[in-house]
Amino acid sequence: MALFAVFQTTFLLALLSLRTYESEVLSEPLPLTPESLKVSVNSTCQCLHLQWTVHSLAYHQELKMVFQIQISRFKTSNVIWVENYSTTVKRNQVLHWSWESELPLECAAHFIRMRSMVDDARIPKPGFWSNWSSWEEADAQNMLGHDPLFVFPKDKLVEEGSNVTICYVSRIHQDNISCYLEGVQIYGEQLDRSVSAFELKNVSFIREKGTNVFCKVDQGGVLGGIVLFVSKVLEEPKDFSCETQDLKTLTCTWDPGSDTGLTKQPSQSYTLFESFSGKKTLCKHRNWCDWQVAQDSQETFNFTLLAENYLRKRSVSILFNLTQRVHPMTPYNLLPKNVGATKATMTWKVHSIGNNSTLLCQLELLAEGKVIQQSNVSIKVNGEYLLSELEPDTEYVARVRCAYTNHFWKWSELISQKFNTAEAAPSEAPDVWRNLKLVSGHPTVSLFWKPLSKVHANGKILFYNVIVENLDKPSRFEVLSIPAPASSTELTLDQCSYQIHVTAHNSVGPSPASVIVVSGDPGNEEVEKGRVNGTEDGFSVSWKPQSGDATGYVVEWCDGPQDLPCVLQWKNLGPNTTSTVIRSGAFRPGVRYNFRIYGISTRRMAHLLEKKAGYLEELAPSDNPQVVMSKLTSRSFTLSWKDYSTESQPGFIQGYHVYLKPKAGEQCHPAFEKTVLPEDSVCCKYTIDNPEQKTFVVENLQPESVYEFIVTPYTSVGEGPLDAFTKVTTLDEYSHTLIHIILPMIFCILIVMIICYLKSQWLKEKCYPDSPNPYKSSVLSLIKSKENPHLTIMYVNDCVPDAIEVINKPEGSKIQFLGTRKSPTETEFTKPAYLYLLPTEKNYSGPGPCICFENFTYNQAASDFASCGHFPVTPQAPRHQLGPLTSPENLLKALEQNYMNSLGEIPAGEANLNYVSQLASPTSGDKDSLPTNPPEPALCSEYKMQTAIPLGLASAPPSENSSLSSTTLLGQGEHCR
Amino acid sequence: MLPAAGEPAAGDSWGMLACLCTVLWHLPAVPALNRTGDPGPGPSIQKTYDLTRYLEHQLRSLAGTYLNYLGPPFNEPDFNPPRLGAETLPRATVDLEVWRSLNDRLRLTQNYEAYSHLLCYLRGLNRQAATAELRRSLAHFCTSLQGLLGSIAGVMAALGYPLPQPLPGTEPTWTPGPAHSDFLQKMDDFWLLKELQTWLWRSAKDFNRLKKKMQPPAAAVTLHLEAHGF
Repeated sequence: MALFAVFQTTFLLALLSLRTYESEVLSEPLPLTPESLKVSVNSTCQCLHLQWTVHSLAYHQELKMVFQIQISRFKTSNVIWVENYSTTVKRNQVLHWSWESELPLECAAHFIRMRSMVDDARIPKPGFWSNWSSWEEADAQNMLGHDPLFVFPKDKLVEEGSNVTICYVSRIHQDNISCYLEGVQIYGEQLDRSVSAFELKNVSFIREKGTNVFCKVDQGGVLGGIVLFVSKVLEEPKDFSCETQDLKTLTCTWDPGSDTGLTKQPSQSYTLFESFSGKKTLCKHRNWCDWQVAQDSQETFNFTLLAENYLRKRSVSILFNLTQRVHPMTPYNLLPKNVGATKATMTWKVHSIGNNSTLLCQLELLAEGKVIQQSNVSIKVNGEYLLSELEPDTEYVARVRCAYTNHFWKWSELISQKFNTAEAAPSEAPDVWRNLKLVSGHPTVSLFWKPLSKVHANGKILFYNVIVENLDKPSRFEVLSIPAPASSTELTLDQCSYQIHVTAHNSVGPSPASVIVVSGDPGNEEVEKGRVNGTEDGFSVSWKPQSGDATGYVVEWCDGPQDLPCVLQWKNLGPNTTSTVIRSGAFRPGVRYNFRIYGISTRRMAHLLEKKAGYLEELAPSDNPQVVMSKLTSRSFTLSWKDYSTESQPGFIQGYHVYLKPKAGEQCHPAFEKTVLPEDSVCCKYTIDNPEQKTFVVENLQPESVYEFIVTPYTSVGEGPLDAFTKVTTLDEYSHTLIHIILPMIFCILIVMIICYLKSQWLKEKCYPDSPNPYKSSVLSLIKSKENPHLTIMYVNDCVPDAIEVINKPEGSKIQFLGTRKSPTETEFTKPAYLYLLPTEKNYSGPGPCICFENFTYNQAASDFASCGHFPVTPQAPRHQLGPLTSPENLLKALEQNYMNSLGEIPAGEANLNYVSQLASPTSGDKDSLPTNPPEPALCSEYKMQTAIPLGLASAPPSENSSLSSTTLLGQGEHCR
Repeated sequence: MLPAAGEPAAGDSWGMLACLCTVLWHLPAVPALNRTGDPGPGPSIQKTYDLTRYLEHQLRSLAGTYLNYLGPPFNEPDFNPPRLGAETLPRATVDLEVWRSLNDRLRLTQNYEAYSHLLCYLRGLNRQAATAELRRSLAHFCTSLQGLLGSIAGVMAALGYPLPQPLPGTEPTWTPGPAHSDFLQKMDDFWLLKELQTWLWRSAKDFNRLKKKMQPPAAAVTLHLEAHGF
């Protein structure tokens, strides 16, 4: 019983003590109000920084507590933020809490208070809030100066895309304050009488020097502003990788993205951190960093690249084994060694990686930019490889790259080397052909050869050797050396047969010889001619196989048209070939190409087998033949175009079309076909289907009708142009009959005329022969013998000139009497001037010899009046005084007149007749005695210009003024003495 | 842009440089400046005047670039802010009567002191510039301004005036303190360029006046024709 009492007492005491503890520590409402609350303002981050303690904690216990913080703006009642902050609290511990304000803290006073609550699991009962602490004010405005206008936040650094609140504080309390972002006005919210806030959303980067925001009092000269630095968002480094060239240094590279550098914030920095070794290094470059591998042969690396600027951090990591990231350095000293015509050895070196490590190197051989050989070689330091099967005299490029053999990661960079193989003797004989012709009677062979292709030349061809061997005289050789790049030569031969060897030589040696045998006979034998069809691919030429010993065939042609110098082309073909396609870029449509097929005998001699002609594409003739028309009759004519060459046309001429345009309403002849021309005119067409028929007779025409014709050739494609028709008019049906009558008549008339002419010559000779022997006239002789022998002949020697008349007659002057009815003196008739060599009639008393030159007007009327008279007409002379025909001189004058008339009928008054009268009548010096005095022998010889004047004028009485002229002309003219 | 300082000359800087070079090339040919013996202060005054005009022209291009770099409103033509933080910059503006009352020595001294200060600030500006192109332009201008300072010193020496000695502790320094906001810094830059422009305009007037005073009229006319003949 006593033991039970002791146990009970102990239990009660223990329970009491526990309750006492609980009541002391937890159970009672503990005074855990936050104390010593201090608020500070950090303008840089726009943060309110709170610090406080909880003094009431006992026993140095840790308790989890919740602090509820209230923040008011402008006034305590305007609570803008409530937040519960949970933390573990020790006794007398200074607690910190920060709050970032959107609104710059300088623009508004902030009030902060807090209360707390125990939130510890050890306390079974739910907690309760302590009392609020007193309000603490954070007013950054107190720190401002005395400026009238402030704008906040100052020089803030934000990221692109963020929202920023800007505010201004005005001390001047004016409403006319406007704010601008980069010169553009912005509008905000007035928070207080002197404070306005502007929210800038999604700000963007503008320039390194920052975005300008400023406010100003309109027309007040007050201005305040800030610079907002907007940084680009820091990007995560891309393509981060590390590799080593020598297992000693790792080089890590990455793509940094855009630079976020501002004048307010430097560019982002990069730090490389290796987690296994715990080392880190600050990279000096934006996109690469070197890392020294420690000597303790660390093989695995875990790198973290950290990019950071003031606003953000970004990181990226990689884990790798060092030997799996070996990127060997570029090989060096790649050189060709022992370069031959077909072989070359390449040597190169590599930088060693570690100890005894091998590299796999890839050697590539390139020709003309293409890889033709590829070889892999494992080496340690020195590489060597023999390249074979090379072409002589060819430029090659060898290139080498290497990779780490243990674990392939990357090829190294390539190293290249160019080299040329040596030359070798040409491997093929040149392709030779010949052309035989006779030049000045001598057989001449033109040798042609094609340049060897690069594959066969094996070097630069320096010259060609041509060895001419006379087969008939085997000991005779002739060697010609022709320097390259000539591709032909000409040899003059005789009638013997020759074997010609042609070899090409380069610096190493000659090619195999090409052998051809020619004989002096050009062999223009007649062979079969045929046609060959051209296609887009070329000409498909085929021939009959030559029975016998043909060792091959050659097709020969000219690349150019026929009228151009021939560029001889040929193609060698095997003995079993009987067709081939001849292709050439020079072939043109509408050009005739002639192919000759030769068979090559075992003696290497060529025999012409066939000739072929063809067009790549036939065209219609572009020109028509020059047609000559002949044998024109009333019902037919003949057309001929013999000069037209069918060979040089743009197609095979199949024939000709003769077009004839009939006269209106006329039907075509049955042989003609009626056709409509492009210009809708109807035409008759006759088709000649023989290209060699080059004449055509157009018959059954209408007389005296106009026809139009044209002759146009046609090919398989079409005919020539129908543009220039030729007109022809058929003859009159009776014209040939008339010709049969008219021609004999004309012939008869001609006979009569000739007879008349001969008769008149005879008559003239008989009656009045020409000077100087007019007196030899047979008639005169007859008269003379009967009457006065001096009747008509004046002897010049007996004439004594008394005056020389100088006649000044202008060129082209004419006596224009007709119509004007003026006397000659009133005209522009030039008055003759006289030089009197002898006394005039007043002091001259007797007849004497004289010569006078004067104008003389031949009076037609006078001759008409007295048919054979030639009398000077003077005004003073009455008509009855004109000499009678019966007198001998009158008879002569009649003869003269006849003579004149025989020269031509000249109507009176129509023209002036200027001639010299060689039969002037001898007169006495006295005009009054002119008609009556008998002619005195040989006294006077008169040369006078005789002018036929109209009758009326000649007989018109002269005026006073005209007396001189008329007297001179007529009267004075009689003063030949 | 900075308001024009009243000089209507226009054209690109190369043209102006060519003009300057030509003028300098022909200077020895000017009879009045090519006297045998002591040529006097005339040539150095002329050179200083020409350099001033050249710098005026160069500054126009530089200021345009730099103010664009600062951004609006500093590059706006009518921007005329209060002179908030630029109190330490030497002011070029002076009352006309006061200016007239200054003697040659005082004018030259003021010019010399002003450019000494401005050059120092300008070098600070150069250090702050973000772009390489701008730094090149500023460095080139600083070199030219250094040359002008040397020319003014030469003129003062030729005229027998002593160079002003900087008082200890008054050396201008470029210390953009933390309290100096970036916006105020931009305002300072703006005012620096504006004061420079006004100083160059004022100096051109000073040296033109001095040139006329020191040279016979005929020589001045000859030089005038040379300059305009280009």
